[in-house]
Amino acid sequence: MLQKKICMLGGFSVGKTSLVRRFVQSIFSETYMTTVGVKIDKKNVELPDRTVNLILWDLAGEDDIGSFRVSYVRGATGLVLVVDGTRPATLAVALTLRERAEAEFGAMPGVLLFNKSDLADQWAISDLEMNELKTNGWPVYLTSALTGNSVDDAFHRLAEMVAH
Amino acid sequence: MDVLPRAIRNWLYNLIYHERSVAYVKIDAQHLVVAKGGSVERHGLSSLRIGEPVAEQLEFMEGLLPGLDLPYDLPMIELPSGRVADLHLLSEDSCVWLIFLDATVERGNKQRIQQKAYEMTLLQERLRSLNDKLQAMNEALRQSQEDLAREYQRSEALLLNVLPASIAERLKAHEQIADDHAEVSVLFADIVSFTEKARSVGAETTVAILNRFFKAADLLSERHGCEKIKTIGDCVMVVAGLPVARADHAEALARYALELRKAAECENFAGEPLGLRIGLHSGPIVAGVIGKKRFAYDLWGDTVNLAARIQRSAEPAEIRISDATHDLLGPSFACQPLSETELRGAGRVRLWRLTA
Repeated sequence: MLQKKICMLGGFSVGKTSLVRRFVQSIFSETYMTTVGVKIDKKNVELPDRTVNLILWDLAGEDDIGSFRVSYVRGATGLVLVVDGTRPATLAVALTLRERAEAEFGAMPGVLLFNKSDLADQWAISDLEMNELKTNGWPVYLTSALTGNSVDDAFHRLAEMVAH
Repeated sequence: MDVLPRAIRNWLYNLIYHERSVAYVKIDAQHLVVAKGGSVERHGLSSLRIGEPVAEQLEFMEGLLPGLDLPYDLPMIELPSGRVADLHLLSEDSCVWLIFLDATVERGNKQRIQQKAYEMTLLQERLRSLNDKLQAMNEALRQSQEDLAREYQRSEALLLNVLPASIAERLKAHEQIADDHAEVSVLFADIVSFTEKARSVGAETTVAILNRFFKAADLLSERHGCEKIKTIGDCVMVVAGLPVARADHAEALARYALELRKAAECENFAGEPLGLRIGLHSGPIVAGVIGKKRFAYDLWGDTVNLAARIQRSAEPAEIRISDATHDLLGPSFACQPLSETELRGAGRVRLWRLTA
């Protein structure tokens, strides 16, 4: 069986744990529970020609990037960068974490998720900014762990990227 | 380095072994599990099969081992079983030893503190963003208030341009404005041969001349306490004695007429001094404001009509006044009588030429 380690990276309270729960268990909880250290989860993704077992490392979110423990990322073949679309500062945090991880372990494929798309009235990221990120690298998704919007799509896309 | 006595070492070993529920997994160079021991049940390692690849049984080992520099620490890992462990990877007899130390309690403590801290930070972020929004709204409000005030001043100024101040005040109080004025003097003045001269000098020069002429008319009306009512083409209509009545309305307007003529003569229009025909008459009129969107303060009555006809009958550069106006002028004005003239709507009337 093809098995791939994936790391969830992003600022605190952007929805990394909720995205994993939505993807793996199809559930969502309104209660915010901070992650300490790392939570490991797994899910099989069926691709047309094979099955990939994604080993998801849900890393603790960062408030102060200085405390980021890059050693957790060792052995990862893909990244899920998560941004809270209602808090513009979390975009810079996510991009910095990606830089840190790739400086240590080399470039790797990934997807960029702007999460909480259900909170349209508090949305704080401009279309222009998102389009720029789309043309500049990774696939970009507008996701909602609450509604499930685009969550499966994003993980499937990443599974395809790391399986080939 | 001092070595602890065996008794202390044993005590420490027992303390950590029991408090932290230590377990180990031994992995060979082919990444196969070769041994396990300690609190294996506590860490969900009971079903781990000896002689099989580690990454297939412990998913978190996926990708970790190749080229790894030991020792390597992975603190506070929550495994799919829900158990939390600090993982330490050591090297010993060409094998990798995976050491599990239970960290459930420590993780719980740390989580409670971090939860409070992050919730606080989130609140602060939310507060800051609400504050920013509030400030932006305040700024927008202040801006629109300023715009409104500027708009008000502009419309106020515009209103005062077309209406006498006292009339504008009454209009703002929603008063109907139609007043009888028993005693006023009315003046008309227009430019001699305007149409031909305008054609010869072109539009731009004509507008410039008209502009200077009307400006002079405005300036003089302020100086002499008269009201310029309107302009019609190259003709200007000025009144004295309203909106506030004055006994010397005829004299004020006569002085106005003399100065207007003097000012015009300083202007050059198509190679000649600007010549005016001026006519004055005194009598009762009705004054009022008509229109809803475009206000016009205007005068009506026979006095107005006659003043216009006297003006039209005047010679170039002449100030022609009616008998009624002449009667109101003091001895400081010089007038010459003119022969009786036939005017439409008034029959034969006596007119005078105001010279100085």
